[in-house]
Amino acid sequence: MAHGLTLDHAAWSSPWRPRSVRDKAVLCLGLLLAAVCLPPFPGGVAVAHVSLAVLLGPVRVGPARLGRILWAPLLSILIGVATVAVSVSWEAGPRFQVTPASLAMAEALAVRALAATLATFTLACSTPMVDLFAGLRKAHVPDPLIEIASLVYRFSFGLLDSAGAIRQAQVARLGYATRTAALRSASMGVAGLFLRSWERARRLEAGLAGRGYEDALRTLEPPRRRSTRFLIGSLMLLAVLVGGSLAWGSSAWGSAAWGFPAGGAGR
Amino acid sequence: MHIAEGFLPVGHAVAWFVVATPFVVHGARAVIRQSREHPESRLLLAAAGAFTFVLSSIKLPSITGSSSHPTGTGLGAVLFRPPVMAFLSTIVLLFQALLLAHGGITTLGANVFSMGIAGPWVGYSLWKLSNALSWNRHLGIFAALAGADLATYVVTSFQLGLAFPDPVSGVWGSVVKFLGIFALSQVPLAVIEGILGVLVFRLLSDVAKPELERLGVVAAEPETVAA
Repeated sequence: MAHGLTLDHAAWSSPWRPRSVRDKAVLCLGLLLAAVCLPPFPGGVAVAHVSLAVLLGPVRVGPARLGRILWAPLLSILIGVATVAVSVSWEAGPRFQVTPASLAMAEALAVRALAATLATFTLACSTPMVDLFAGLRKAHVPDPLIEIASLVYRFSFGLLDSAGAIRQAQVARLGYATRTAALRSASMGVAGLFLRSWERARRLEAGLAGRGYEDALRTLEPPRRRSTRFLIGSLMLLAVLVGGSLAWGSSAWGSAAWGFPAGGAGR
Repeated sequence: MHIAEGFLPVGHAVAWFVVATPFVVHGARAVIRQSREHPESRLLLAAAGAFTFVLSSIKLPSITGSSSHPTGTGLGAVLFRPPVMAFLSTIVLLFQALLLAHGGITTLGANVFSMGIAGPWVGYSLWKLSNALSWNRHLGIFAALAGADLATYVVTSFQLGLAFPDPVSGVWGSVVKFLGIFALSQVPLAVIEGILGVLVFRLLSDVAKPELERLGVVAAEPETVAA
Protein backbone atom coordinates (compact mmCIF):
# COMPACT_ATOMS: atom_id res chain seq x y z
CA MET A 1 0.00 0.00 0.00
CA ALA A 2 2.99 2.26 0.39
CA HIS A 3 2.93 3.57 -3.15
CA GLY A 4 -0.83 4.20 -2.89
CA LEU A 5 -0.41 6.42 0.14
CA THR A 6 2.58 8.00 -1.59
CA LEU A 7 0.39 9.13 -4.50
CA ASP A 8 -2.23 10.59 -2.16
CA HIS A 9 0.39 12.28 0.02
CA ALA A 10 2.03 13.76 -3.06
CA ALA A 11 -1.33 15.19 -4.20
CA TRP A 12 -2.14 16.78 -0.83
CA SER A 13 1.32 18.33 -0.44
CA SER A 14 1.71 19.49 -4.05
CA PRO A 15 2.41 23.20 -4.64
CA TRP A 16 -0.12 22.90 -7.51
CA ARG A 17 -2.95 21.94 -5.16
CA PRO A 18 -4.39 25.49 -4.97
CA ARG A 19 -4.62 25.64 -8.76
CA SER A 20 -8.02 25.17 -10.35
CA VAL A 21 -8.91 21.60 -11.38
CA ARG A 22 -9.89 22.91 -14.82
CA ASP A 23 -6.39 24.31 -15.45
CA LYS A 24 -4.64 21.13 -14.29
CA ALA A 25 -7.05 18.86 -16.16
CA VAL A 26 -6.38 20.67 -19.45
CA LEU A 27 -2.62 20.11 -19.09
CA CYS A 28 -2.65 16.61 -17.58
CA LEU A 29 -5.43 15.10 -19.71
CA GLY A 30 -3.95 16.86 -22.76
CA LEU A 31 -0.62 15.15 -22.05
CA LEU A 32 -2.41 11.82 -21.58
CA LEU A 33 -4.28 12.22 -24.85
CA ALA A 34 -1.05 13.18 -26.64
CA ALA A 35 0.70 10.12 -25.17
CA VAL A 36 -1.84 7.69 -26.60
CA CYS A 37 -2.64 9.51 -29.86
CA LEU A 38 0.76 10.69 -31.10
CA PRO A 39 3.30 8.35 -32.68
CA PRO A 40 5.57 6.97 -29.90
CA PHE A 41 8.63 8.39 -31.67
CA PRO A 42 9.03 11.26 -31.04
CA GLY A 43 5.55 12.18 -29.64
CA GLY A 44 5.47 9.62 -26.81
CA VAL A 45 9.10 10.25 -25.88
CA ALA A 46 8.44 14.02 -25.76
CA VAL A 47 5.33 13.56 -23.59
CA ALA A 48 7.29 11.33 -21.20
CA HIS A 49 10.03 13.96 -20.87
CA VAL A 50 7.56 16.84 -20.38
CA SER A 51 5.59 14.85 -17.77
CA LEU A 52 8.80 13.96 -15.95
CA ALA A 53 9.85 17.62 -15.96
CA VAL A 54 6.42 18.68 -14.60
CA LEU A 55 6.52 15.99 -11.86
CA LEU A 56 10.07 16.72 -10.71
CA GLY A 57 9.78 20.48 -11.28
CA PRO A 58 6.64 22.45 -10.30
CA VAL A 59 4.70 19.47 -8.82
CA ARG A 60 7.77 18.63 -6.65
CA VAL A 61 7.28 14.90 -6.36
CA GLY A 62 11.00 14.20 -5.80
CA PRO A 63 13.03 11.38 -7.42
CA ALA A 64 12.74 8.98 -4.46
CA ARG A 65 8.98 9.36 -4.18
CA LEU A 66 8.62 9.07 -7.96
CA GLY A 67 10.61 5.84 -7.87
CA ARG A 68 8.29 4.41 -5.18
CA ILE A 69 5.23 5.37 -7.23
CA LEU A 70 6.59 4.15 -10.55
CA TRP A 71 7.99 0.68 -9.82
CA ALA A 72 4.66 -1.19 -9.73
CA PRO A 73 3.23 0.13 -13.04
CA LEU A 74 6.70 -0.22 -14.60
CA LEU A 75 6.77 -3.92 -13.68
CA SER A 76 3.29 -4.39 -15.15
CA ILE A 77 4.35 -2.62 -18.38
CA LEU A 78 7.50 -4.75 -18.65
CA ILE A 79 5.57 -8.03 -18.35
CA GLY A 80 3.08 -6.90 -21.00
CA VAL A 81 5.77 -5.62 -23.36
CA ALA A 82 7.78 -8.84 -23.03
CA THR A 83 4.66 -10.86 -23.88
CA VAL A 84 4.05 -8.76 -26.99
CA ALA A 85 7.73 -8.96 -28.05
CA VAL A 86 7.78 -12.77 -28.10
CA SER A 87 5.86 -14.28 -30.99
CA VAL A 88 4.35 -17.74 -30.50
CA SER A 89 3.42 -20.22 -33.24
CA TRP A 90 2.79 -23.95 -33.47
CA GLU A 91 5.01 -26.11 -35.71
CA ALA A 92 5.13 -29.65 -34.28
CA GLY A 93 5.21 -28.00 -30.86
CA PRO A 94 5.24 -24.44 -29.57
CA ARG A 95 7.77 -22.17 -31.28
CA PHE A 96 8.86 -18.93 -29.63
CA GLN A 97 10.60 -16.23 -31.66
CA VAL A 98 11.26 -12.51 -31.63
CA THR A 99 10.39 -11.06 -35.04
CA PRO A 100 11.19 -7.49 -36.21
CA ALA A 101 7.42 -6.79 -36.34
CA SER A 102 6.80 -7.99 -32.77
CA LEU A 103 9.85 -6.09 -31.54
CA ALA A 104 8.68 -2.84 -33.20
CA MET A 105 5.21 -3.31 -31.68
CA ALA A 106 6.68 -3.93 -28.22
CA GLU A 107 8.99 -0.91 -28.52
CA ALA A 108 6.13 1.43 -29.47
CA LEU A 109 3.96 -0.04 -26.71
CA ALA A 110 6.63 0.45 -24.03
CA VAL A 111 7.07 4.13 -24.94
CA ARG A 112 3.32 4.81 -25.14
CA ALA A 113 2.51 3.07 -21.84
CA LEU A 114 5.35 4.78 -19.97
CA ALA A 115 4.43 8.21 -21.39
CA ALA A 116 0.75 7.71 -20.51
CA THR A 117 1.60 6.51 -16.99
CA LEU A 118 3.78 9.57 -16.34
CA ALA A 119 1.07 11.86 -17.80
CA THR A 120 -1.53 10.34 -15.44
CA PHE A 121 0.85 10.87 -12.51
CA THR A 122 0.90 14.63 -13.26
CA LEU A 123 -2.81 14.70 -12.36
CA ALA A 124 -2.68 12.10 -9.56
CA CYS A 125 0.25 13.84 -7.84
CA SER A 126 -1.20 17.35 -8.00
CA THR A 127 -4.94 16.90 -7.40
CA PRO A 128 -6.45 15.11 -4.37
CA MET A 129 -9.61 13.08 -5.02
CA VAL A 130 -11.79 15.54 -3.08
CA ASP A 131 -10.83 18.30 -5.54
CA LEU A 132 -11.72 16.01 -8.46
CA PHE A 133 -15.13 15.35 -6.88
CA ALA A 134 -15.71 19.11 -6.59
CA GLY A 135 -14.76 19.44 -10.27
CA LEU A 136 -17.15 16.64 -11.25
CA ARG A 137 -19.95 18.31 -9.25
CA LYS A 138 -19.35 21.51 -11.21
CA ALA A 139 -19.51 19.43 -14.40
CA HIS A 140 -23.11 18.46 -13.38
CA VAL A 141 -22.45 14.80 -12.58
CA PRO A 142 -25.51 13.71 -10.51
CA ASP A 143 -25.12 14.46 -6.80
CA PRO A 144 -25.87 10.96 -5.45
CA LEU A 145 -23.07 9.48 -7.60
CA ILE A 146 -20.52 12.06 -6.42
CA GLU A 147 -21.77 11.52 -2.90
CA ILE A 148 -21.19 7.76 -3.03
CA ALA A 149 -17.76 8.19 -4.67
CA SER A 150 -16.66 10.66 -1.99
CA LEU A 151 -17.99 8.41 0.78
CA VAL A 152 -16.05 5.47 -0.71
CA TYR A 153 -12.93 7.66 -0.58
CA ARG A 154 -13.55 8.68 3.05
CA PHE A 155 -14.32 5.14 4.19
CA SER A 156 -11.30 3.69 2.37
CA PHE A 157 -8.69 5.31 4.61
CA GLY A 158 -10.34 4.16 7.84
CA LEU A 159 -10.63 0.65 6.42
CA LEU A 160 -7.03 0.68 5.18
CA ASP A 161 -5.92 1.49 8.73
CA SER A 162 -8.12 -1.33 10.04
CA ALA A 163 -6.76 -3.77 7.44
CA GLY A 164 -3.19 -2.83 8.44
CA ALA A 165 -3.95 -3.23 12.15
CA ILE A 166 -5.69 -6.60 11.63
CA ARG A 167 -2.78 -7.90 9.55
CA GLN A 168 -0.18 -6.65 12.06
CA ALA A 169 -2.01 -8.41 14.89
CA GLN A 170 -2.28 -11.64 12.87
CA VAL A 171 1.40 -11.56 11.90
CA ALA A 172 2.37 -11.02 15.56
CA ARG A 173 0.39 -14.19 16.41
CA LEU A 174 2.16 -16.18 13.62
CA GLY A 175 -1.03 -16.02 11.57
CA TYR A 176 0.93 -16.19 8.32
CA ALA A 177 3.53 -18.76 9.40
CA THR A 178 2.09 -21.58 7.26
CA ARG A 179 -0.04 -21.62 4.11
CA THR A 180 -3.08 -22.97 5.99
CA ALA A 181 -2.70 -20.38 8.74
CA ALA A 182 -2.28 -17.65 6.10
CA LEU A 183 -5.54 -18.67 4.38
CA ARG A 184 -7.39 -18.75 7.68
CA SER A 185 -5.94 -15.37 8.73
CA ALA A 186 -6.72 -13.77 5.36
CA SER A 187 -10.34 -15.01 5.43
CA MET A 188 -10.84 -13.84 9.01
CA GLY A 189 -9.28 -10.50 8.11
CA VAL A 190 -11.57 -10.03 5.09
CA ALA A 191 -14.68 -11.04 7.04
CA GLY A 192 -13.70 -8.76 9.93
CA LEU A 193 -13.13 -5.91 7.52
CA PHE A 194 -16.53 -6.45 5.89
CA LEU A 195 -18.27 -6.35 9.25
CA ARG A 196 -16.34 -3.24 10.34
CA SER A 197 -17.22 -1.39 7.13
CA TRP A 198 -20.88 -2.39 7.58
CA GLU A 199 -20.94 -1.37 11.23
CA ARG A 200 -19.21 1.95 10.60
CA ALA A 201 -21.62 2.80 7.79
CA ARG A 202 -24.57 1.99 10.02
CA ARG A 203 -23.25 4.07 12.94
CA LEU A 204 -22.42 6.98 10.63
CA GLU A 205 -25.85 6.79 9.04
CA ALA A 206 -27.55 6.89 12.46
CA GLY A 207 -25.40 9.82 13.57
CA LEU A 208 -25.93 11.80 10.37
CA ALA A 209 -29.66 11.07 10.25
CA GLY A 210 -29.88 12.65 13.71
CA ARG A 211 -28.25 15.77 12.26
CA GLY A 212 -30.67 16.01 9.33
CA TYR A 213 -28.54 14.37 6.61
CA GLU A 214 -30.72 14.10 3.53
CA ASP A 215 -28.85 14.75 0.31
CA ALA A 216 -25.09 15.42 0.40
CA LEU A 217 -22.21 15.83 2.84
CA ARG A 218 -20.91 19.04 1.29
CA THR A 219 -17.92 20.74 2.85
CA LEU A 220 -16.58 24.24 2.26
CA GLU A 221 -14.24 24.30 -0.70
CA PRO A 222 -11.15 26.49 -0.40
CA PRO A 223 -10.88 29.03 -3.24
CA ARG A 224 -9.01 27.68 -6.25
CA ARG A 225 -6.70 29.83 -8.36
CA ARG A 226 -7.74 30.05 -12.01
CA SER A 227 -4.96 31.28 -14.25
CA THR A 228 -5.43 32.28 -17.88
CA ARG A 229 -1.65 32.37 -18.29
CA PHE A 230 -1.34 28.77 -17.05
CA LEU A 231 -4.15 27.68 -19.37
CA ILE A 232 -2.68 29.41 -22.42
CA GLY A 233 0.80 28.08 -21.56
CA SER A 234 -0.60 24.52 -21.29
CA LEU A 235 -2.41 24.79 -24.62
CA MET A 236 0.73 26.19 -26.28
CA LEU A 237 2.85 23.36 -24.85
CA LEU A 238 0.38 20.78 -26.14
CA ALA A 239 0.26 22.49 -29.55
CA VAL A 240 4.08 22.42 -29.75
CA LEU A 241 4.08 18.71 -28.79
CA VAL A 242 1.50 17.81 -31.42
CA GLY A 243 2.91 20.07 -34.15
CA GLY A 244 6.51 19.06 -33.49
CA SER A 245 5.66 15.37 -33.40
CA LEU A 246 3.68 15.47 -36.64
CA ALA A 247 6.37 17.57 -38.39
CA TRP A 248 9.08 15.16 -37.22
CA GLY A 249 7.06 12.14 -38.29
CA SER A 250 6.49 13.52 -41.77
CA SER A 251 10.09 14.63 -42.31
CA ALA A 252 12.48 12.26 -44.06
CA TRP A 253 15.25 13.16 -41.57
CA GLY A 254 13.20 12.21 -38.56
CA SER A 255 12.12 8.93 -40.13
CA ALA A 256 15.65 8.01 -41.11
CA ALA A 257 16.97 8.93 -37.67
CA TRP A 258 14.64 6.42 -35.99
CA GLY A 259 14.76 3.85 -38.76
CA PHE A 260 11.03 3.98 -39.51
CA PRO A 261 9.24 4.72 -42.77
CA ALA A 262 8.00 8.30 -43.23
CA GLY A 263 4.62 8.93 -41.65
CA GLY A 264 5.48 7.68 -38.15
CA ALA A 265 6.05 4.31 -36.63
CA GLY A 266 3.34 4.33 -34.02
CA ARG A 267 0.31 2.22 -33.94
CA MET B 1 -5.49 -7.91 -13.02
CA HIS B 2 -5.82 -4.66 -14.92
CA ILE B 3 -4.57 -3.39 -18.26
CA ALA B 4 -1.93 -0.73 -17.55
CA GLU B 5 -2.27 2.93 -18.47
CA GLY B 6 -1.67 3.67 -22.17
CA PHE B 7 -1.46 -0.02 -23.06
CA LEU B 8 -4.38 -0.07 -25.50
CA PRO B 9 -4.32 1.66 -28.91
CA VAL B 10 -6.72 4.64 -29.09
CA GLY B 11 -9.35 2.82 -31.18
CA HIS B 12 -9.54 -0.10 -28.75
CA ALA B 13 -9.61 2.17 -25.68
CA VAL B 14 -12.53 4.18 -27.16
CA ALA B 15 -14.37 1.03 -28.25
CA TRP B 16 -14.21 -0.50 -24.76
CA PHE B 17 -15.45 2.78 -23.26
CA VAL B 18 -18.42 2.66 -25.64
CA VAL B 19 -19.15 -0.99 -24.79
CA ALA B 20 -18.89 -0.47 -21.01
CA THR B 21 -20.85 2.80 -20.82
CA PRO B 22 -24.43 1.39 -21.05
CA PHE B 23 -23.74 -1.08 -18.22
CA VAL B 24 -22.22 1.63 -16.01
CA VAL B 25 -25.07 4.07 -16.77
CA HIS B 26 -27.59 1.33 -15.96
CA GLY B 27 -25.75 0.64 -12.67
CA ALA B 28 -25.54 4.37 -11.87
CA ARG B 29 -29.29 4.76 -12.46
CA ALA B 30 -29.95 1.80 -10.15
CA VAL B 31 -27.75 3.43 -7.50
CA ILE B 32 -29.46 6.85 -7.90
CA ARG B 33 -32.92 5.25 -7.66
CA GLN B 34 -31.92 3.23 -4.63
CA SER B 35 -30.37 6.23 -2.86
CA ARG B 36 -33.50 8.36 -3.51
CA GLU B 37 -35.87 5.66 -2.25
CA HIS B 38 -33.65 4.62 0.64
CA PRO B 39 -31.21 7.47 1.48
CA GLU B 40 -29.66 5.33 4.21
CA SER B 41 -28.46 2.82 1.59
CA ARG B 42 -25.93 5.36 0.26
CA LEU B 43 -23.66 4.75 3.22
CA LEU B 44 -23.95 0.99 2.89
CA LEU B 45 -23.16 1.16 -0.85
CA ALA B 46 -20.19 3.41 -0.08
CA ALA B 47 -19.02 0.93 2.55
CA ALA B 48 -19.30 -1.83 -0.08
CA GLY B 49 -17.23 0.22 -2.53
CA ALA B 50 -14.58 0.98 0.09
CA PHE B 51 -14.51 -2.69 1.08
CA THR B 52 -13.93 -3.72 -2.57
CA PHE B 53 -11.17 -1.08 -2.88
CA VAL B 54 -9.44 -2.15 0.33
CA LEU B 55 -9.65 -5.84 -0.70
CA SER B 56 -7.24 -5.02 -3.53
CA SER B 57 -4.64 -4.07 -0.90
CA ILE B 58 -4.81 -7.42 0.92
CA LYS B 59 -2.03 -9.74 -0.21
CA LEU B 60 -2.91 -13.39 -0.64
CA PRO B 61 -0.45 -16.30 -0.61
CA SER B 62 -0.14 -17.73 -4.13
CA ILE B 63 0.78 -21.24 -5.26
CA THR B 64 3.34 -19.83 -7.72
CA GLY B 65 5.27 -18.27 -4.83
CA SER B 66 4.32 -14.70 -5.59
CA SER B 67 1.52 -12.90 -3.81
CA SER B 68 -1.54 -11.36 -5.36
CA HIS B 69 -4.76 -9.67 -4.32
CA PRO B 70 -8.45 -10.60 -4.62
CA THR B 71 -10.72 -8.69 -7.03
CA GLY B 72 -13.69 -8.82 -4.67
CA THR B 73 -16.16 -8.49 -7.53
CA GLY B 74 -17.52 -12.05 -7.20
CA LEU B 75 -18.42 -11.52 -3.54
CA GLY B 76 -19.78 -8.05 -4.41
CA ALA B 77 -21.96 -9.46 -7.19
CA VAL B 78 -23.44 -12.12 -4.88
CA LEU B 79 -24.09 -9.55 -2.13
CA PHE B 80 -25.15 -6.46 -4.12
CA ARG B 81 -26.07 -7.73 -7.68
CA PRO B 82 -24.07 -7.11 -10.89
CA PRO B 83 -25.58 -3.72 -12.01
CA VAL B 84 -24.56 -2.07 -8.74
CA MET B 85 -21.12 -3.69 -9.05
CA ALA B 86 -20.67 -2.17 -12.54
CA PHE B 87 -20.95 1.32 -11.02
CA LEU B 88 -19.00 0.53 -7.84
CA SER B 89 -16.24 -1.16 -9.87
CA THR B 90 -15.92 1.97 -12.01
CA ILE B 91 -15.32 4.06 -8.89
CA VAL B 92 -12.95 1.47 -7.45
CA LEU B 93 -10.98 1.21 -10.73
CA LEU B 94 -10.72 5.00 -10.92
CA PHE B 95 -9.39 5.07 -7.35
CA GLN B 96 -6.97 2.27 -8.15
CA ALA B 97 -5.69 4.24 -11.16
CA LEU B 98 -5.26 7.52 -9.26
CA LEU B 99 -4.37 6.27 -5.77
CA LEU B 100 -2.62 2.91 -6.32
CA ALA B 101 -1.26 3.39 -9.89
CA HIS B 102 -3.00 0.13 -10.94
CA GLY B 103 -4.78 0.24 -14.31
CA GLY B 104 -5.33 3.64 -15.87
CA ILE B 105 -7.68 6.31 -17.17
CA THR B 106 -7.37 5.42 -20.87
CA THR B 107 -7.86 1.71 -20.10
CA LEU B 108 -10.74 2.34 -17.67
CA GLY B 109 -13.38 1.21 -20.19
CA ALA B 110 -11.63 -2.09 -20.90
CA ASN B 111 -10.92 -2.75 -17.21
CA VAL B 112 -14.52 -1.91 -16.23
CA PHE B 113 -15.79 -4.34 -18.86
CA SER B 114 -13.59 -7.21 -17.65
CA MET B 115 -13.64 -6.62 -13.87
CA GLY B 116 -16.89 -4.71 -13.35
CA ILE B 117 -19.19 -6.31 -15.92
CA ALA B 118 -17.99 -9.71 -17.21
CA GLY B 119 -16.61 -10.92 -13.85
CA PRO B 120 -19.66 -10.01 -11.70
CA TRP B 121 -22.17 -11.30 -14.27
CA VAL B 122 -20.37 -14.65 -14.62
CA GLY B 123 -20.00 -14.92 -10.82
CA TYR B 124 -23.64 -14.02 -10.20
CA SER B 125 -24.87 -16.42 -12.91
CA LEU B 126 -22.90 -19.27 -11.34
CA TRP B 127 -24.34 -18.37 -7.90
CA LYS B 128 -27.92 -18.37 -9.27
CA LEU B 129 -27.24 -21.61 -11.16
CA SER B 130 -25.95 -23.26 -8.01
CA ASN B 131 -29.11 -22.16 -6.16
CA ALA B 132 -31.35 -23.42 -8.96
CA LEU B 133 -29.57 -26.79 -8.96
CA SER B 134 -29.64 -26.90 -5.14
CA TRP B 135 -25.89 -27.25 -4.86
CA ASN B 136 -24.20 -26.94 -1.52
CA ARG B 137 -24.09 -23.21 -0.71
CA HIS B 138 -20.32 -23.27 -0.18
CA LEU B 139 -19.80 -24.86 -3.59
CA GLY B 140 -21.94 -22.10 -5.11
CA ILE B 141 -19.88 -19.39 -3.41
CA PHE B 142 -16.64 -21.04 -4.54
CA ALA B 143 -17.92 -21.25 -8.14
CA ALA B 144 -19.12 -17.62 -8.08
CA LEU B 145 -15.86 -16.16 -6.77
CA ALA B 146 -13.48 -18.34 -8.75
CA GLY B 147 -15.68 -17.93 -11.87
CA ALA B 148 -15.72 -14.13 -11.56
CA ASP B 149 -11.95 -14.07 -11.20
CA LEU B 150 -11.39 -16.43 -14.15
CA ALA B 151 -13.86 -14.51 -16.34
CA THR B 152 -12.00 -11.27 -15.62
CA TYR B 153 -8.71 -12.91 -16.60
CA VAL B 154 -10.08 -14.52 -19.77
CA VAL B 155 -11.75 -11.29 -20.96
CA THR B 156 -8.58 -9.28 -20.26
CA SER B 157 -6.55 -11.80 -22.29
CA PHE B 158 -9.03 -11.44 -25.20
CA GLN B 159 -8.84 -7.64 -24.96
CA LEU B 160 -5.03 -7.75 -25.13
CA GLY B 161 -5.07 -10.40 -27.88
CA LEU B 162 -7.36 -8.24 -30.02
CA ALA B 163 -5.16 -5.17 -29.43
CA PHE B 164 -1.86 -6.94 -30.12
CA PRO B 165 -2.34 -9.72 -32.68
CA ASP B 166 0.73 -11.93 -32.96
CA PRO B 167 2.66 -11.20 -36.21
CA VAL B 168 2.96 -14.97 -36.86
CA SER B 169 -0.10 -16.65 -35.31
CA GLY B 170 -2.60 -13.73 -35.39
CA VAL B 171 -5.26 -12.78 -32.84
CA TRP B 172 -5.87 -16.32 -31.55
CA GLY B 173 -2.17 -16.98 -31.12
CA SER B 174 -1.92 -13.77 -29.13
CA VAL B 175 -4.96 -14.63 -26.99
CA VAL B 176 -3.44 -18.05 -26.17
CA LYS B 177 -0.12 -16.34 -25.37
CA PHE B 178 -1.73 -13.91 -22.88
CA LEU B 179 -3.90 -16.66 -21.39
CA GLY B 180 -0.77 -18.77 -20.88
CA ILE B 181 1.27 -15.98 -19.29
CA PHE B 182 -1.47 -14.81 -16.90
CA ALA B 183 -2.58 -18.38 -16.07
CA LEU B 184 0.58 -18.69 -13.94
CA SER B 185 -0.78 -16.22 -11.42
CA GLN B 186 -4.51 -15.98 -12.17
CA VAL B 187 -5.59 -19.65 -12.07
CA PRO B 188 -4.10 -20.27 -8.59
CA LEU B 189 -5.44 -16.87 -7.52
CA ALA B 190 -8.97 -17.77 -8.67
CA VAL B 191 -8.84 -21.03 -6.70
CA ILE B 192 -7.53 -19.23 -3.61
CA GLU B 193 -10.12 -16.45 -3.92
CA GLY B 194 -12.83 -19.13 -4.18
CA ILE B 195 -11.58 -20.89 -1.02
CA LEU B 196 -11.20 -17.55 0.76
CA GLY B 197 -14.76 -16.64 -0.27
CA VAL B 198 -16.12 -19.87 1.25
CA LEU B 199 -14.31 -19.15 4.54
CA VAL B 200 -15.51 -15.53 4.56
CA PHE B 201 -19.08 -16.58 3.78
CA ARG B 202 -19.03 -19.14 6.60
CA LEU B 203 -17.89 -16.45 9.03
CA LEU B 204 -20.49 -14.01 7.74
CA SER B 205 -23.23 -16.63 8.06
CA ASP B 206 -22.27 -17.04 11.71
CA VAL B 207 -21.89 -13.40 12.73
CA ALA B 208 -23.80 -11.34 10.14
CA LYS B 209 -26.83 -13.44 9.23
CA PRO B 210 -29.32 -10.54 9.56
CA GLU B 211 -27.28 -8.50 7.05
CA LEU B 212 -27.19 -11.43 4.59
CA GLU B 213 -30.95 -11.90 4.98
CA ARG B 214 -31.53 -8.18 4.45
CA LEU B 215 -29.51 -8.33 1.22
CA GLY B 216 -31.51 -11.37 0.09
CA VAL B 217 -28.38 -13.54 -0.15
CA VAL B 218 -29.81 -16.14 2.22
CA ALA B 219 -33.50 -16.80 2.82
CA ALA B 220 -34.87 -15.37 6.07
CA GLU B 221 -35.81 -18.06 8.56
CA PRO B 222 -39.48 -17.92 9.67
CA GLU B 223 -39.86 -16.69 13.22
CA THR B 224 -40.97 -19.36 15.62
CA VAL B 225 -43.85 -18.34 17.82
CA ALA B 226 -43.97 -19.82 21.27
CA ALA B 227 -47.17 -21.67 21.92
